[in-house]
Order: sequence, then C-alpha cells, then structure tokens
Amino acid sequence: MDVVVMSANDWIGVFFSLVAFIGMAAVYFMVFRPANKDMFESQRSMALDDEGHINMGEKR
Amino acid sequence: MEATQATPIKYDMEVVRWFTIAAAIYAVVGTLIGVWIASELAWPFMNFDIPYITFGRLRPLHTNAVIFAFGGCVLMSTGYYMVQRTGATKLWSNGLAWFTFWGWNLIIVLAVVTLPLGITQGKEYAELAWPIDIMIAVVWLSFGLNHIMTVAIRKTSHIYVSNWFTMGMIVMITDLHVVNSLAIPVSLTQSYSIYSGVQDAMIQWWYGHNAVGFYLTGGFLGIMYYFVPKQVGRPVFSYRLSVLHFWALTFGYVWLGAHHLQYTALPDWTGSLGAAVSLAMIIPSWGGAMNGMMTLSGAWDKLRTDYIMRFLVVSLAFYAMSTFEGPVMSIKTVNALSHYTDWTVGHVHSGALGWVAMVGYGAIYHMIKKLYGVEKMYSESLVNTHFWLATIGTVIYIVAMWVSGIMQGLMWRDYDEYGALTHTFVESVSEMHPYYAMRVIGGVIFHLGTWIALYNIVMTVRQAIAVRGVNAVPANA
Repeated sequence: MDVVVMSANDWIGVFFSLVAFIGMAAVYFMVFRPANKDMFESQRSMALDDEGHINMGEKR
Repeated sequence: MEATQATPIKYDMEVVRWFTIAAAIYAVVGTLIGVWIASELAWPFMNFDIPYITFGRLRPLHTNAVIFAFGGCVLMSTGYYMVQRTGATKLWSNGLAWFTFWGWNLIIVLAVVTLPLGITQGKEYAELAWPIDIMIAVVWLSFGLNHIMTVAIRKTSHIYVSNWFTMGMIVMITDLHVVNSLAIPVSLTQSYSIYSGVQDAMIQWWYGHNAVGFYLTGGFLGIMYYFVPKQVGRPVFSYRLSVLHFWALTFGYVWLGAHHLQYTALPDWTGSLGAAVSLAMIIPSWGGAMNGMMTLSGAWDKLRTDYIMRFLVVSLAFYAMSTFEGPVMSIKTVNALSHYTDWTVGHVHSGALGWVAMVGYGAIYHMIKKLYGVEKMYSESLVNTHFWLATIGTVIYIVAMWVSGIMQGLMWRDYDEYGALTHTFVESVSEMHPYYAMRVIGGVIFHLGTWIALYNIVMTVRQAIAVRGVNAVPANA
C-alpha cells in the first residue's frame, strides 16, 4: 500500500472502516461478555409488559 | 424510572388506526398494479397503446405503492404503536403524527398523478420529482422527530430493541434519501442529478440497497421483535442476540450496495467488498431469524390455531431464505449468471412478499384487534385463507422467476464453437412467456389475499364500532 498517494477520500474511508470494525468488535465483546448477560436478558419480556392499564385514547 | 401500573396510560392510537387501515388499502392497490404490469409483460397488448399505463410508467407506481404506501404506512403505524407501548407514554406530539399521516398520503397521491404522466427522475425507487422529494424529507423528518422525542420522554428505563431498529431506519433513510436525491432543478417537474456516470450508479445503489436494508429489513425487524413475542405470548428468545442483530445490521448493511454493480465501470475491489460483506451479513441475519423462530420454543402448537402467528413465522422463513439468497447472488461467479435476469426479480419478491408483506400483515392483524378492543377478527378462517393465498402466491411467483431467470442467464451467455451467441435476445424473451404467465397467476393469488384481508379488517372495525358505539373507548385494549 502506497500511503503517500492516498487521497483525503481514501483516508476518510480508512477511518470509517476502522471505526466500523472496532465498533463491531466492541459490540460482540459487550453482548457476549458473561457479566452482561443478566443486564441484557432482563429486558427479554419488555414487549409483554405493556398490557396492563392501557387506555387506547378516544376515537375522534 | 419504571412504568407505573397504578394510573391508566392514555395512548394516541387514532392515528395508528388510520395508518393501519391505509396500509391494508394500499396493499390492495399496490399488488393490483403489480398484477397488471406482470400481465403486460406476458401479454404486451394489455397496455392498449395508452402511454399512461405502459409498463415503464406503471412499474415505478407499483414499487412506490408497495414500498412507500403499504410499507410506509405499516412502518409508521407500528412505529407509533410500539414506541408508545414500550415507553409507557403517549406520543410527543399527536398533531405532528397527524401531519405525517396526511403528508405521507398526499405524497402517495402525487405519485399516483405524476408517475403515469411520465414525470420521473429515472432513479430506481427514487423516481419522484424533486418537489415531492422535498416533501418526503419534511414528512419523514417529522415522523423521525416525533418518534425520537417520544423515546426521549418515555417512562421506562430501557429502550426496547424494536425502537432501536426504527430509529436506525429513521436516521439512515434520512441520510440515503437526501444524498441520493440531490439534484439541480430546471423546472417544477424536471431536474438533473448532481452525480454523473459511475458515481451516480454507486450513489443510486448505495441508496437502493440500503433502502432495502434499513427500511424493508431494519424497520420490519423492529416489527418482528415486538409482534412475535406479543403474538406468541413469550419473551424474545435471546435479547442479547437481538442487540447484536441490530448493531451488526447497522454496521454492515451500508457496505453492500456495490454488489449491484459487479462487472461495471465501478472499481473491481468495490464490488468484491460489497460481496464479501454481503456474505458476512448471513451470520447476523440468520441469528436474528433463529432468534425469532426460537421465541416460539414451547409454543409451536399455537401454529395450529393462531393464524396470525403463521404469518409471522413464515415471514421469518422467507427472511432467512432471502438473506441467504442475496449474498449468494452477490458473489461474482453467481452474479455473472443472475444479474439483469428475472432471478433478481424473484429474489426481491421473496423478500417483499414473503418477508415484508407477511410480517406486515401479522402486525396489522395483531394491532387491529388491540386497537379496536376485540378478541378475534371478524373471521379467523379468512385470516387463514389469506395466509394460504399469500404463501402459495408467493411461492408460485418466485419459482416462476427462478426458472425464468436462470434460463435467461444461460441463454444469454451460451455461445457456439465460433464464439457467436447461440440465441438471439428475442428468443430468450419468447422462452420466458410461460413463466411470465405463471408469475401473473402467483400475483393474482397473492392479490386476492389482500382483498380478503381488507374485507376482514373493515368488517372487524365495523363490528367493533357497532358493539361499542362510535365514541366508545376500548377499555384496557
């Protein structure tokens, strides 16, 4: 790779590629870290918890 | 900041009701136009030499109707529905929600008027004239602002993963639409893209594939992660996997567009990168599909009696299939055969009919019962009939296009011992006829299902209103 001839666009591309790669690696680490399991899985049933005491609003 | 159960929460659901019913109507209209233009391809006389209904003008109307009218109304209805219920709060602005409803519908009306008149920018899935593009940006941003601000004022501590998918879609579609639509106007209906040549192609397919990725995939995955657990009555199988699914899709999808431009003037490495990341995306896509399927663990028996669940499960099967087929088609050796053929059309429709429409209808049926406070649809057996028509219609459609597309690819590149093409192009067109007729049959079957759904929904609403009275409030719906 000839670093000298790389344009600004090339460097921007390299920067975002690295951000995406590092970001994705960080997400994998965060999600699969055993210490975080309970934190994530405690939200599993959130979609089921919205049934009580709901008023859908008046029809116009 | 946990949601209190002591005080009833009053949601703004009237706008959701309107979006939901509009979606059911647009599904009928969009698929009707699709059936018509499929018929024109099989029997060309059907354009009757009327310029307004020729394939070139009705095809963008079909795609705009099913993607933006049907798909948009489903996304906005479910977006407003899920964000309120998972945030235990009403909308940040009900007035702005109504603005999005009427604004979005005005855009659809303008599309119905301008596209048959031949007013187009000629960019696939972004055909509408520049003033309408500005309206789309304004209405879309109003939807985004309202959704994000509703998340901000939520009364729950956590932002449920469905809302992440919806917000990811909002951010990315804003970016894609604005950048791809940049143009220099020369009149009220005419403009020229600021891009040219291969840059124009790259921007177009960066937009085109990410519209699939963030609008038709990400947005509808948000629907899946909320409505599958709701319908089956069990928590999502793995919340960790859903978070990974969201971020992998968000990081990965933006790289894929170049796989639409293999063997073109685009630099070769760009297409290779698009194909490589496409293949990598199979992992999170299948992880997400499995996550949805496994949510049914211990409750598979419900499929025997819960016809809405059938829509959701089959949508996941088509999602898994499409997200495998797409990356395979992006590989250069496969792409050399499949590109420009009907195989691509079949792939798109396995995603659009099998995934988007199926999961969309699953959500619509679920919401209609909740929104109108009824235990059952007007006819549960009609839901089942719709399910089978949708499934059979989709399978007939995509099988026809697979056979047709592979045959086209093989005929186009077949050459004799002297290096001359074995077949003329028109011979391949002639060979396609039975499969084009078969596609019409599949489309008609699917289209019939949309009429049944609309009838069932209208009757359910009428019945609910008759029971409660017009101004009644559904209690604890």
